[in-house]
Amino acid sequence: MLPYIHNVVGLVGVAVAVATATAAMVDRFTRRRAVFGWVAALALAVMLGSWGGLPAAAYVRGVTGDLSVTTLVLVAHALGRGLFGWPQLTRRSLRALQAFLVAAALLLYPFALGLGMQDPYRLGYANPGFVGAVLALALASWLVRLDLVAVTLALAILAWAFGAFESDNLWDYLIDPVVALYAAGALIWAVGLTWQGRRRAREGGLRLDATDQGSSRADPRFRQL
Amino acid sequence: MLRRPSPRSALRALALGLIVAAAVAGTLRAAQRPPVASFAAPPDTTSTSAQPHFVTRFVSSTQGVQTHSASLVELRDGRVRAFWFEGSREGAGDVVIRTAVFDPVTSRWGNAQVAVTRKQTQHGLLRSVRKLGNPVPARQADGTLWLFYVTVSVGGWAGSSITAVRSTDEGANWSAPRRLITSPFLNVSTLVRGAPVLLADHTLVLPVYHEFLGKFGELLRIGVDGTVIDKQRLSDGRDGLQPILLVQSPADALALMRWGGEAQPPRVIVTRTRDGGRTWSTPAKTALANPNSAVTGVVLPDGRMVVALNDVGGDRDQLSLIVSSNGGRDWRVAAVLEDQLWFRDTPRGSARYVERSRRLAADTDPERAGDGSAHAESARRQMCVLRSPCAFEFSYPFLLETSTGDIHVVYTWNRSFVKDVQFNSAWLDERLKGADVAVHP
Repeated sequence: MLPYIHNVVGLVGVAVAVATATAAMVDRFTRRRAVFGWVAALALAVMLGSWGGLPAAAYVRGVTGDLSVTTLVLVAHALGRGLFGWPQLTRRSLRALQAFLVAAALLLYPFALGLGMQDPYRLGYANPGFVGAVLALALASWLVRLDLVAVTLALAILAWAFGAFESDNLWDYLIDPVVALYAAGALIWAVGLTWQGRRRAREGGLRLDATDQGSSRADPRFRQL
Repeated sequence: MLRRPSPRSALRALALGLIVAAAVAGTLRAAQRPPVASFAAPPDTTSTSAQPHFVTRFVSSTQGVQTHSASLVELRDGRVRAFWFEGSREGAGDVVIRTAVFDPVTSRWGNAQVAVTRKQTQHGLLRSVRKLGNPVPARQADGTLWLFYVTVSVGGWAGSSITAVRSTDEGANWSAPRRLITSPFLNVSTLVRGAPVLLADHTLVLPVYHEFLGKFGELLRIGVDGTVIDKQRLSDGRDGLQPILLVQSPADALALMRWGGEAQPPRVIVTRTRDGGRTWSTPAKTALANPNSAVTGVVLPDGRMVVALNDVGGDRDQLSLIVSSNGGRDWRVAAVLEDQLWFRDTPRGSARYVERSRRLAADTDPERAGDGSAHAESARRQMCVLRSPCAFEFSYPFLLETSTGDIHVVYTWNRSFVKDVQFNSAWLDERLKGADVAVHP
């Protein structure tokens, strides 16, 4: 009795995500590409190794479920950056993706958990209007050069159309609670840094543009995913 | 001389290509979504006996285990297959889903077999599974048998999701499990208990419920291949659990829900549709008492609705069959299948409990239970040792009308066994003829 292929895809996605996150955390201290690669490989082996008859990633997946395409795009970029030195994502694109995720989470989760009779999650079951809206958002993002958002949305629709994961619902390819939490945390952090930068500028008599560039540039964490 | 495109332009072109590909693939996938469909016409059943018929039996036989949440499906050859879960206690890692087959020719339930285990499920799903529960079978339009059941990876029942397996040999063997994704937040919490119904386009509607933060009923529309096509909310708030569907015609149906709220008095909740399930009325309390306990029902070919429920407040120590001849507006009690209300008003000692349980078991099925001593001891362990004080419980009924017009209601007997009550419409008619039939409640 072999598992469905979408379960294998979901399991590998979780294993790679955990391995990449582990390597990225170690990389903060070592900053060496080789170390990143070895840690990622070791963590991947641990996640796919058998623990009590199941891969370790299966226990993580028992809690998180399958990760969305959005999470996997960010993980793939972090992996490429750690292993091959890919350039960092532009702050504008990343902020736009984070804003999209936070907006989607606010729209989706309270109602899906029972707030009222309308459940936006229902739209994800192949509602043509919803699919069209996500496609339109992808195209609009491309036109205004938010390529990260455009590519992520397009890949999510493609993965959903081909049934890559166990979910039949497009929402699950766009967002998951892990990436929603990351996006909310990153946006709150960015807003905090902007506010702090402005306050310092006021106190020091400096004049800054109304962007977060002055403050976040000084923080190396913003150069990493 | 042609200028080579910059890496940036190449990436932009790739992104545009992905969007175009997504537009094509997404449009094709959305186009496969079946249009809204009404309920399938209720199947014709022919009663093979005009004589009143009423028999009781035990379905399960394992002693000393906790047994709960039975359900039924008719097999193609007219036999009836039951499912339930049993283990050392509800939610334990050793809980398995068992199945047994009733043969109407011999009028006997066969030996129970294991249908699904926790380990099988977690290996098939490639995710940890801590507990199993609530098996509900369904006959798909292509003739295959499906079994939906609840699985939990983290936390209590509120963290449940639904898993499905498929059988092409009437339940002898089952496929690898498939998890239904029905909620975006870690896929919590969707549970199943009510019987599914077919739609006119051969897709299936599975009544389910949610009990994390809110308690409300929903309908899942499921394709022949087990994919989730749609979902629809029946209620919101914190009151409604375990919906069942009573389909009167392709357009008309009502959903009854177990009362899971705090406000008194506890009553069964009802919502209706007049347009084949496209819209449902605002959920409202009925007059039917309900001690936060599952209800079940069927619609007979003559349009009467038969429902089994614990129609008392407090505990689940009384189980009744009620009938409505006007689409669920008024109900009459046809029979009280179990009644141990007297025990509430006595010192709830285990000796008294064991003696009554022994007699009940012996009366139910002397062939399987003998003098009832072993069954009474199993009941004592569940209802006097694992909880205090002792109490009787007859709960989680599940009704099925077979193609020959026989009606089975299976239910949990003191958390120890599954009991089957079989009767026909002639018996029901006779019960309802009695002048002393009380108007419910």
